[in-house]
Amino acid sequence: MHIARSKVAVIAAAVSLGLVATACSSDRDSNGSDGGGSTERFIFGAAGDPGSLDPSLESDGETFRVSRQVLETLLDHESGGTELIGGLAETWDSNDEGTEWTFNLRDGVTFHDGEELTAQVVCDNFDRWYNWTGTYQSTALSYYWQAEFGGFAENESEDTPPPNYVGCEATEDLTAVINLEEPSSVFPGAFSLAAFSIHSPKSLERYAEDEASGEGDNISRPDYSQDPEAIAGTGPFQLSNWNKGNGEVTVTRFDDYWGETAGFEEIVFRTISDEGARRQALEAGEIHGYDLVAPSDVDALESAGFEVPVRGVFNIFYLAFTQERNEALQDIDVRRAVAHALDRQGLVDTQLPEGGVVATQFVPDTIAGYSDDVTLYEYDEDAARELLDEAGHADLTVDFCYPTEVTRPYMPAPADMFELMKADLEAVGVTVNPRPMKWTPDYLDTTRDGGCDLYLLGWTGDFNDAYNFLGTWFDGYSKEWGFRNDEIFEALAASSVEPDVEAREAMYEEINELVMDFLPGVPISSSPPSIVFADSVNPPTVSPLTQEKFSEGSFK
Amino acid sequence: MLRLIVRRLLQLVPTLLGLSVLLFLWLRMLPGGPASARLGERATEADRIAMEAALGLDKPLWDQYFIFLRDLLTLDMGVSTRTGRPVWEEFTQRFPATVELGVTAILIAVVVGVPLGYLAARHRGGWMDVGAVSGSLIGICIPVFFLAFILKEIFAVGLGWFPTGSRLTTGINATEVTGFHTLDGILTGELDATGDALWHLVLPGIALASIPLAVITRMTRASVLEVLQEDYVRTAESKGLHQRVVRLRHVMRNALLPVITAIGLLTGSLLSGAVLTESIFSWGGIGSFIRDAIDGRDYPVLTNFILIIALVYVLINLLVDLAYSLIDPRVRVH
Repeated sequence: MHIARSKVAVIAAAVSLGLVATACSSDRDSNGSDGGGSTERFIFGAAGDPGSLDPSLESDGETFRVSRQVLETLLDHESGGTELIGGLAETWDSNDEGTEWTFNLRDGVTFHDGEELTAQVVCDNFDRWYNWTGTYQSTALSYYWQAEFGGFAENESEDTPPPNYVGCEATEDLTAVINLEEPSSVFPGAFSLAAFSIHSPKSLERYAEDEASGEGDNISRPDYSQDPEAIAGTGPFQLSNWNKGNGEVTVTRFDDYWGETAGFEEIVFRTISDEGARRQALEAGEIHGYDLVAPSDVDALESAGFEVPVRGVFNIFYLAFTQERNEALQDIDVRRAVAHALDRQGLVDTQLPEGGVVATQFVPDTIAGYSDDVTLYEYDEDAARELLDEAGHADLTVDFCYPTEVTRPYMPAPADMFELMKADLEAVGVTVNPRPMKWTPDYLDTTRDGGCDLYLLGWTGDFNDAYNFLGTWFDGYSKEWGFRNDEIFEALAASSVEPDVEAREAMYEEINELVMDFLPGVPISSSPPSIVFADSVNPPTVSPLTQEKFSEGSFK
Repeated sequence: MLRLIVRRLLQLVPTLLGLSVLLFLWLRMLPGGPASARLGERATEADRIAMEAALGLDKPLWDQYFIFLRDLLTLDMGVSTRTGRPVWEEFTQRFPATVELGVTAILIAVVVGVPLGYLAARHRGGWMDVGAVSGSLIGICIPVFFLAFILKEIFAVGLGWFPTGSRLTTGINATEVTGFHTLDGILTGELDATGDALWHLVLPGIALASIPLAVITRMTRASVLEVLQEDYVRTAESKGLHQRVVRLRHVMRNALLPVITAIGLLTGSLLSGAVLTESIFSWGGIGSFIRDAIDGRDYPVLTNFILIIALVYVLINLLVDLAYSLIDPRVRVH
C-alpha cells in the first residue's frame, strides 16, 4: 500500500516537472524575446568572457568582438574584405617619409554620451596611451601599443622598446596629425586595430580617476574597464550591461549612430566555453550564432538549416622546424624532403572547411606582397626519399610536438592533422616521436623555447600588410625557429621602414621568395574559420579578419 | 561541544598552512606559467620574460611564498593573473552558483536515494532491490560528462523542455541579493526569476546527482539491511510496536548515521568536483573557473580557491559530526 503511494508520488512529481518544464519552455519564442518583452535580442555564443571592456588593455579576440560593436577606429576594413577604408577618419594621408599621418575626421559623429568627435579627442586618446605609466606599461595591459607604437613618454623599464610615437596635433577641428619617429610597415594598418579605438572625452576623464595597480603577481585591470557605464564610443551599439555571473555582455542599439542604424535592437554576447555546448544551445534555439564551428559540425549544421557563411582566408597554418635542436634540419635538403613528403592537399581536403587552400608561402594569397614566383614543393614521396638519401639522413628521427584540447581558427583539429603528417613522414622513412602537449602554457612555452624539432602553429592577420605575417616570424633570430639568415632579416628590416606602399609590396614578394628558398618551415594551409547563424537571422557580412559588424545583421 | 568546535577550528591552522605550502610548490612545478598563458600565441620570448617580471615571478620562490602568506594573513587574496580581477571578487561571484548546484544535486540524491535504499533493503531480492542496485551501479559507471551530454541532447535540444545551460534565461532581470538566484527571486518578489533558476537547475542537478544518488542508495540499503538484523529491531517488532515507529525510530535513525557521514563527504566533494558539469552547462561556478585557472596557471586563483574549498569542506564535516548527536543521542561528540 505504502509502496503504491510512493510510486504514485514519484509519477506525479515527474509529470508535474514535465508540465512545468513545458510551460516554462513555451514562454520563450525563437527570436530571443523573453516572455514579457518585445526586444529583438540577438544572442551570440562567445567562447570566453572579454578580458575587459576597454580594448586598449587587451589582445584577445573575444574582447575585440564586443568592443568592435561599440567603439570605432580611425581606419576600418571594407565589409567582408581586408582593404583599408575610412572609419572615423573619412580620408587619410601620410607624408613621403611615412612619419606624419593626417586624418580628416567625419563630421557630426557623436559618442554614446552625447560628446562630439573632434580632432582633439583623437589626440587625447593617443596621448593617453603614450603617457601611460606604472602597471599600464606592462605588456599585460599595453601589448598592442608596444607592438605597434613602441614605448611610452617615459619608459620605466629598460625592456620596454623606445617609442615610435612622437605626438598628435589637432590642426583643425576635424583634422588630426599623428607624428612618428620613423616610418613603419605597421602603418596605416595599425590605425584599424581595435586596441586603438577612440573613446569619448568624458570616458577619458573617468579613466584618469582609476589606475591599474599591482605588485607581485597582482596586475589588476582598472575598475572603469569592468564598468559598462564608464565606456562610451561612437559605434552602432552602446554598452548596457555586463552580467559576469551569467557570463553575458549586453549592447543596445545607438539610435544617433552616424552610419546605418543597426538591424538588431540588442545583442547579448553569452559565454559558452564548451564547443559542444555552443552547438547544442544553437540547436535548442537559445543562441542565434557562434564562431569557430568545428569542421566536423559544418555539414550537420547546414543540413539542419543553419547558415554557415564562408569567410575569406586570412591566416596561415604552418609546420615549423627548430633548426638548432636537430642538426639534420640545418640541411636544406632535409627541410625540402619534409616539404615534399607532406600531402598538404589531402590534409586540406579532409581536415579543413570549405574555402581552405594549400599555402605556398607564409602569407595568404589575399594579401599584398604575395608572390607567384616562390619555389613550390609538390607532394612527391620519391623526391623526399631521394633528398633524404643524398643528405645522408635516410634514418631521420624527429620530435614532433602538437597541441591537444585546442581549436585555433587556422588549425581546427590539431591531433588529426598531426596524425596525417606523421603518416606522410613515416611513409618516406622518417621516424616520428609524437609529443602531444596541452596548448597553454605547455605547448606555447615549449615551442617558444625551441623545445621541439617540428611543431604546428599559425597566425591570423591583424591587417592587410605582409609584414604583419613575415615580420612576426622572421625579423630576427628566435629560439622557436633556431636559425640565423641575415639576408632575410635585413630584407625584412628594410621593408619595415619603406614608406612607399608599392615599393614595400615588391620587397615583400622578394622576401617571400627568399623565405621559401630557405624553407624555415612548411606553410601548410590557409583556411576560413567557420561561423554559424540561425536561419531566423540575416547574418552580417562575414570577415576574413573575423571582424564581423553585427549591426549589418537583422532578424528575418 | 564548544570545545570540539574550537579544537577543530584550531586544527585547521596547520592543515591550511601545510596545504598552502604544498599548493604553492606543486603549482610552480607545473610546466609553463601564467605569463605564457596570459600572453597567448602572439607573444615573443622577450614578452614572456617582461610579463614574468611584471607578475613578480622572477623573484626567488621563498620570497614569492612569503609575499603570498603576508597577503593572505591580511585577507588580501591578490588578483587573478588570467582575468586581472581580485580573487575574492571572482570567488564570491561564482561560489553561490556552485553551492546552488551542489545543494540541488545533494537534495536530489538524498530525497531519492534514502527512500530508494530503504525500500530496496526492505524488499531484498525483489524487483525494487534489483532495480535500485543495478540502477546505482549504472549511476556510478556512467561518466558525468556523458550523462550531461545525453540529458541535454534529449531534454534540451530534442524536446526543448529545459535549457541547455546557464543559470538564467537571457533577458530575465533578476536583482542580485545573495547570489543564489532561487533565493533572490523569493527575497525580491521576482518569482519568475526563482522559477527560471529552478528550471535551469534541473538538468545539471540531475547530472551532478548521479554519483551521490548511487552512493547514498547503496549505503542506505546496506545500512538498513544491517540494522534490520539487530536484536532491538526484532524486540521492537515483537513488542507489537507500530511498523511506522519501528522503521522511523529504530531502523532509519540508526541506519542513517553512516549515510550522513557519506552525505557530508559527498557535499564537500560536490563543491570542488562539479568541474565537468559546470563546463558542460556553462554554469559559471567555481568548478569551471578552476579548470580555466589550471589551463591559465592562475596561481593566485588556484591557491586561494583550493584553500577556501578545504576550509568549507572541513566545516561541512564538522557540521555532520555535530548532527550525529541530534540523530542519535547515544553518540556524544568528543
